[in-house]
Amino acid sequence: MDSQFWRSIFRTRLPIKTNLDRSLIIFNSLAMHIHPVKVRERAIRFSYTFYLGMISFFLFVALVVTGVLLMLYYQPAIPNAYNNMKDLQYVVSNGIFLRNMHRWAAHLMVITVFLHMLRVFYKGAYQRPREFNWVIGVFLFLLTLLLSYTGYLLPYDQLSYWAVTVGANIVKYVPVVGKSIRFLLLGGNEIGEYTLVRFYVLHCVILPLMMTSLIGLHFWRIRKDGGLY
Amino acid sequence: MEKNKKKGPQKDSGKESLSRRKFFVSAGNAAIGIAALGSLGVTLDFLSPKVLLELPRRFVVGMLANMQPNSVTFDAEHRLIVFRDKQGYFYALSAVCTHLGCIVEWKETGIPGHPEGVIACPCHGSIFNKTGDVIRGPAPHSLDRFKMYLEDEKIIVDMTETVSEEEMILKV
Ligand code: HEM
Ligand code: FES
Repeated sequence: MDSQFWRSIFRTRLPIKTNLDRSLIIFNSLAMHIHPVKVRERAIRFSYTFYLGMISFFLFVALVVTGVLLMLYYQPAIPNAYNNMKDLQYVVSNGIFLRNMHRWAAHLMVITVFLHMLRVFYKGAYQRPREFNWVIGVFLFLLTLLLSYTGYLLPYDQLSYWAVTVGANIVKYVPVVGKSIRFLLLGGNEIGEYTLVRFYVLHCVILPLMMTSLIGLHFWRIRKDGGLY
Repeated sequence: MEKNKKKGPQKDSGKESLSRRKFFVSAGNAAIGIAALGSLGVTLDFLSPKVLLELPRRFVVGMLANMQPNSVTFDAEHRLIVFRDKQGYFYALSAVCTHLGCIVEWKETGIPGHPEGVIACPCHGSIFNKTGDVIRGPAPHSLDRFKMYLEDEKIIVDMTETVSEEEMILKV
């Protein structure tokens, strides 16, 4: 195991004997150095965070994986979109399983992100010096909702159409610029081809990229603000 | 000032004078600012489509002879309900609910207190009377009313602007 090949990939030397070796495992790993080498014991206890933030993150990863696979059978056009969804359900092998995974993960993510926010609130973990991470969190929550909203139009069925109609009309009530935002969002006065493509690009490219960057910033801030509260 | 000159290149010669460096920094910042505003402008312009494949807002809803008195015609494409009253006059109401935009439906049987029929929204339960006023529900105001015209036996609706309850009536 302690070959040069192994060590070219995993920089920690085996076997692990001392506490220094143990800390180096965390320190040298991309995935694990999300935690500092030393953490307060209570910070990694389940009852402390309920792991809600991490569960949200894993749901997002699951959404990216299933979402990218769904993209292979999905065309953002009328009437293709609706037919594609039907094909995914009845023709594509395991398509319905994939679609349901994406859908359930999306619903769950909204719930876990919200609960995570509640936990941070009730622990008072939003206080100095963590105020800015709370602000980032608010944007992460908004992004989660926007991803759900834009994704909702993609199957282009009755539910999609009317939910997005209602949402777009709520936007119209924004003072002064409401009508222009609605026009830009829909790419017209009514939901149509342009709307579907706009929502698709937002849902599959722009919002996930913003989400990924902000999640990175969020995690980095946790470390820089001195670990979990 | 005299002394400074002798020392060669000026370094810190008071607040009023603009050093060469400061000048270029400001000019550079201003250029970046203008370019940023410009790109924001062209991007917003790019994002608003110039040609829309949407239906015309002024159109023929039907021939006079085909629309009988005491009839209600629903035009799904234009989202419009056209009424021809018992006495013969016409009026047109938008079928788009003023609450959050669902399509309302004409209910001939009406509801208690409104046997003449009502217009109901399936989304959050708004109910309008036969001339478009809110009877109940979250809808904040009456349905949009449009002006109608009669031009060589054709009934025309102009959806570009909304009119009052009196102005919407087309006597034939
Ligand atoms: C990179 C990330 C993502 C990609 C590439 C992606 C891609 C897609 C695609 C192609 C669809 C259309 C097929 C379908 O309706 O199942 C879809 C639907 C949907 N997405 Fe995503 N998605 C991503 C992340 C998310 C996230 C984070 C959420 C919400 C938290 C979300 C919520 C939804 C919802 C609610 C639907 C409708 C699902 C359905 O009706 O079955 N998506 N997504
Ligand atoms: S959209 Fe008609 S009642 Fe809400």
